[in-house]
Amino acid sequence: MERRIFLKNTALVSGGIIVSTSLIAQPLSIRKPKKVTILHTNDTHSNIDPFPANHAKYPNRGGVARRFELIQKIRAEEENVVLLDAGDIFQGTPYFNKYGGVLEMKLMTELGYDAATMGNHDFDGGLNGFVAAQKFANFPFLCANYDFKNTEVDGQTQASTILNRGGIKIGIFGVGIELEGLVPDSKFGETRYIDPIDIANQQAINLKEKGCDLIICLSHLGYEYPTAKLSDRVLAKKTKNIHLIIGGHTHTFLDKPTEERNSEGKIVLINQVGFAGLNLGRIDFEIETKAFSKQEVITIL
Amino acid sequence: MFRSLFIFLILGAGLMACSSVSKISIKGESLKVDEQYKTSSRVDSMIQPYRIELQKEMDVKIAFATGDFLVERPCGSLNNWVADALMYYLTKNNQQEAPTFCLFNTGGIRSTINQGDVTVGDIFKVMPFDNLLAWVKMPISSIPLIESHLKATGGEPISGAYLDHGKLIIKGLNSQSTYFWIITSDYLMNGGDKMSFFEQKISSKMTDFLMRDALLSVAKEQSVLVMDTNNRITF
Repeated sequence: MERRIFLKNTALVSGGIIVSTSLIAQPLSIRKPKKVTILHTNDTHSNIDPFPANHAKYPNRGGVARRFELIQKIRAEEENVVLLDAGDIFQGTPYFNKYGGVLEMKLMTELGYDAATMGNHDFDGGLNGFVAAQKFANFPFLCANYDFKNTEVDGQTQASTILNRGGIKIGIFGVGIELEGLVPDSKFGETRYIDPIDIANQQAINLKEKGCDLIICLSHLGYEYPTAKLSDRVLAKKTKNIHLIIGGHTHTFLDKPTEERNSEGKIVLINQVGFAGLNLGRIDFEIETKAFSKQEVITIL
Repeated sequence: MFRSLFIFLILGAGLMACSSVSKISIKGESLKVDEQYKTSSRVDSMIQPYRIELQKEMDVKIAFATGDFLVERPCGSLNNWVADALMYYLTKNNQQEAPTFCLFNTGGIRSTINQGDVTVGDIFKVMPFDNLLAWVKMPISSIPLIESHLKATGGEPISGAYLDHGKLIIKGLNSQSTYFWIITSDYLMNGGDKMSFFEQKISSKMTDFLMRDALLSVAKEQSVLVMDTNNRITF
């Protein structure tokens, strides 16, 4: 079933002027629908080789060399691909214990990841360990709500990034989970956790003001909890200007993204694809830009 | 003049920046990564040197087992070995002022150790999880809760204490004692595997030691694994 939800454009005040500017500045073809394909993983946990053939639940599943082939296939078919990871890249196989995450970073670079956020297990090698491994990554780690001041990680991560794919601006920021009680103190040192809700709202509005057509939050907060604990579903409800939350931490397998309503009643999608690289998430956005648009229509297919 | 130009520039930047999106259509799915995709030889060749080196390390013999070490309820030889090893590893250089025992969970021991050579890989199979060792300071009043938990589960690995006909006997505990320490994993301390009695804790101290590293260290030190088949749990 196709549903259409009409949403008030928040940039209505200056809408007419904006679009006429873009009409003059850009060729007509820019207004044809543009497609962006978001691919994502979470909680890969150092699973580099596929699961063994005698694995009780997921025999022969996963494997980075196969994930690469799947991604390459999609890249060959689609023009605008973005590849993201929602954290907990480290810990789970002896590859991490032995090599401290270096191989994970090299492989993610080879696969062409555009950005990742830090999960709690990405602190497992200590802050020094993270920095040492991260040197092998050529993609940014997005951490908007960890203050790394006075630590080795200071300046090694950023709050957000903006990608341009065929004329579509994609703004991405990252939020991480409370570390106290989850990660030994010695591993995160003086890292300060800041409540993600205000941060997420600030990041989203900031990216919107910079002209992003799509705003994505990479989150390691967890999909949902039986308690009032902050999760992606709670974050989705309490924020605005975010189109998609790519989550992790709870190893939740979702067949398709969950729809949630944000603080303005607009649709936010949440997705998460289990763990260990068993699955690859794929979300296709088809975006139409129109002159004098006063509404933003979101259709979930 | 300068001032008005400045304002115009800022406004201009703002206008240029805004999105003119009118419609977004979204389709999402989860793709299984399995045999239908071939193994990229380029990526696999990046992994191969690490894989070979790792395999070599996993195959290293660190000890010998004179018999099979089994995970059993209420008590098994591997339950005893794991609990004794963790207890020894943490207390050898760090004695607490109060009685201490080690309590782990049977479900956390993921494999047996078979008679013959014991490799690093065997210990990884026993303890694949990266749980850390922790000290938990518990009040005397928590003892009945621990007793009923052991009864409910049918027995858990224990060292430095035993369950005698349902009664928990902690070595060194006397009538003046008001608290004791339990050595366990961070996972269990935080209520994992229904060990809700840890909610009664007075305080706790995390360590940096992975349980697996403790087992590897003790196995190497023993060289021939110490087999204890005594039943430490009776109801």
